[in-house]
Amino acid sequence: MRSRASLFGGIAAIAATFVVFVIPFLFIILMAFKDKQQSALRDFSWPNGFHLFENLYEVIKTRNWMMITAFINSSLITVVSVTLLIVLAAMVGFVLARRKTKWNGLIEFLILAGLMIPPAVVPTIWLLQGLKLFGTLHGMILIQVAYNLPFSIILYRAFIATIPRELDEAAVIDGARPLDVFFRIILPLLWPVTVTNIVVQSVGIFNDFTNPLYYLPGNQNATVQLTLYNFQSQFSTAYNLLFTNILLITIPPLIVFMFFNRQIVAGMTAGAVKG
Amino acid sequence: MTASAVPALKIQRRSLYPGWFYAPAAVVYSVLFLAPTLASLYFSLTRWTLFDATFIGFDNFAQFFREPFLIQGLVNTVIYAVITSGLKVVVGMMLAVMLTSQIMARGYLRSVIFFPVLVSTIGVGMTFTVLMHPTLGMINQSLALIGIKGPGWLVDPKLALFSVALVDVWKGVGLATVIYIAGLVAIPKDYYEAARIDGATKLQNFFYVTLPLSRPATATVITLSFIGGLRTFDLIWAMTKGGPGFASDTVASVIYKQYQAGFYGLSTAGNVVLFILIAVLVVPLTMFLNRKQGFE
Amino acid sequence: MAGLELKNIQKTYGKVEVIKGVDLTIKDGEFVVFVGPSGCGKSTLLRMIAGLEDITGGELYIGDKLCNDVEPRDRSIAMVFQSYALYPHMTVYDNVGFGLKLAKTPKDVRDQKIREAARILKMEHLLDRKPGQLSGGQRQRVAIGRAIVRKPEVFLFDEPLSNLDAALRVDTRMEIAKLHADLGATMVYVTHDQVEAMTLADKIVVLDAGVVQQVGSPIELYQRPTNLFVAGFIGSPKMNFVEVTVEAVDADSITVTSKDVASLRVPARTEGVDVNSLLTLGIRPHDLLPANSGAIVGRVSLVERLGNETIVNIELASGAPWLAVLDGDQALRVGESLALAAEPAKAILFDKDGKALLAPIA
Repeated sequence: MRSRASLFGGIAAIAATFVVFVIPFLFIILMAFKDKQQSALRDFSWPNGFHLFENLYEVIKTRNWMMITAFINSSLITVVSVTLLIVLAAMVGFVLARRKTKWNGLIEFLILAGLMIPPAVVPTIWLLQGLKLFGTLHGMILIQVAYNLPFSIILYRAFIATIPRELDEAAVIDGARPLDVFFRIILPLLWPVTVTNIVVQSVGIFNDFTNPLYYLPGNQNATVQLTLYNFQSQFSTAYNLLFTNILLITIPPLIVFMFFNRQIVAGMTAGAVKG
Repeated sequence: MTASAVPALKIQRRSLYPGWFYAPAAVVYSVLFLAPTLASLYFSLTRWTLFDATFIGFDNFAQFFREPFLIQGLVNTVIYAVITSGLKVVVGMMLAVMLTSQIMARGYLRSVIFFPVLVSTIGVGMTFTVLMHPTLGMINQSLALIGIKGPGWLVDPKLALFSVALVDVWKGVGLATVIYIAGLVAIPKDYYEAARIDGATKLQNFFYVTLPLSRPATATVITLSFIGGLRTFDLIWAMTKGGPGFASDTVASVIYKQYQAGFYGLSTAGNVVLFILIAVLVVPLTMFLNRKQGFE
Repeated sequence: MAGLELKNIQKTYGKVEVIKGVDLTIKDGEFVVFVGPSGCGKSTLLRMIAGLEDITGGELYIGDKLCNDVEPRDRSIAMVFQSYALYPHMTVYDNVGFGLKLAKTPKDVRDQKIREAARILKMEHLLDRKPGQLSGGQRQRVAIGRAIVRKPEVFLFDEPLSNLDAALRVDTRMEIAKLHADLGATMVYVTHDQVEAMTLADKIVVLDAGVVQQVGSPIELYQRPTNLFVAGFIGSPKMNFVEVTVEAVDADSITVTSKDVASLRVPARTEGVDVNSLLTLGIRPHDLLPANSGAIVGRVSLVERLGNETIVNIELASGAPWLAVLDGDQALRVGESLALAAEPAKAILFDKDGKALLAPIA
């Protein structure tokens, strides 16, 4: 009796989540396989033939192969800013967790402020222009670092607090200098959180739309999200291409998800619960 | 009494935790985040062209509370945040309870619910714009099959904001769910066993054990999604651009529109308004949610 | 090899004085144990010697070198931590060799030293493992190996046995004693366990509230404690105390009495002691014998029969709870009255400041 109820419950849950969460993705995939005419119907139907590769080719070569540039830019921004985030946040998290001074309160306040306060956009643009960083990938990278530091620091600090201080002291007795302690003892031990940090921040930065929209105007430095947004008008009559594009930029997070599901969930919940 | 033997001057040995470790992060954060935030307090009081700024006092703010469409943006922002965080709490909690029970295909369910969190917001927004088309959209076509005439999700001014909020919940409820799962798993089994010995039903179990003991998770979900809701921009921009009219404008989309129009002072004032809105709503909210309870 | 010299060492955190001027000489090759209740400052003192805590005042010499401001790595010390503090991401081999690596010791020399240390500690088979794969006792060995590989002049141990179970603790204690005998190095060892202190030390330093209470050999501390604190802290079970009145003072003894004690003549230093003044009498549980004419009479409140000995809790007339450890099995019953005799030479009197009135050694 009980098991039959739970069987029905299970089937109902699978069916409901399939309709709500899976069908939209299937819709994206089906649309990407269709030709222009069929895709204009925008219905949930089987493609009249296999058009994925032509669609892909069409999307990629649009506006002079802009998609390629965009992928390179997005990857560059993601890789470099995540690398910087890891090093800078680990350093801050380490000292913040270990050294108790009267400044700790202020630093924690600034971290929380960074999580809550929306960035002041126009003054930032004005400042970036002054620094000759506006519209450049360098500028974008530094912005991503600045905006995402608080979250990474919180992840690291919480983890470092669980590493016994005696380990640092043992290293000191062994003759380690402060940099040795950090790079040879602490940083290797942080690996699990570092993986979490890499994965969570990469997904966030790769998917970021708002900040590139403000700080990376123009086609030359476009990111994949910007490119999708800009293509929207161009593809307004070619839904097959629009959805091929959407499918294309969904693949990197899908890959990350398949390999690092656990770290992502761990990072997002840990960071959230601490924050 | 013993101080006489102490040498007056002592060399401070090098600290194991060098303060300069803060420096690189502090520079990036101060220059690119703190400085503009502080500067925004001044520029919000000016008419500003990026090249010169004329001080005009609180005119920008006055305008913000005079122009109906700006006021609507403010109201919409709060409505949006309340709807999305409320739904994420309720739905996230339900899904988490379901996923921590002995249900089949847990791995599949968890993955499917969580995956949208990782997908590009712009992509999701565009997909749902197509799905929500009043006549050609799949949602209304499906409803038509069972004889229901679906609403104009994104074109009806009364519904547009709500529709975007629903998509926001669709995309974000996975995060709320995993946070709740983490919270629920942390509740010791003893409580349920004690409650069972006391004769509690499943429903009583939920209301007297699960709900109170998962409050930290609830606090996190509410705070996180409420701040996110107040700041939301990309989904709205991808789906309605604030339309129809100003029906789904939020402060964040107003900031962008004013920036595009070249009203930099007004745009910056919008930033300050959003900042104050978040501070005024979120600080008391978190204090309320994280208040000490007797048993903690 | 080197000894240690502490001259009026002080430590304050803000306004709180943790170490209140410690003077101490530790000879080369000596095994010294710091013992005291938790919070007495023993670990702080050890960490100051290690260089992990700054020295607020006074002078620390290791060998002949003033070391107040010397980095830990230049003090020729090694330390074994309570939690062992093994680096979890390194193999045992790398754990032991980490200090040598930092000192840029050539690889072949390093390898030879690591294997030598592993041989001494019989842990050659563990070298490729990570700390997570080791038992508590094995981790302890690695921690000691990490210390001996550096060939330090002074070994510092911070409660190294407190994370081991009782049986392993006894074994490891003996191994440390053997290690000291083999290496002949100076060792400073912190513990709150007075049994460890008694069994290991050449010299015990009893600390309380940041002040050295007494320094001496284990037997000296047991037989001739200089004050109430040391008398109560050293020896297990704890020494019994009761307040007594002076009945008579002779040249080399004091006769005391009280509601609980029929007059007892105790050999003692007598200067400044007046008839009718109040003193504290201390007698160890092991120094009490059942005797019908015993000076101390009480009511049995609990009997623990261990076979080889019997531990009796008695309540004296004044209500003071005393303990007697009697030889053999004694079939005593709760509630019955018991008279105990004490050998006067083993009783100790304390004045009202808690100072022991020890008779001069004959």
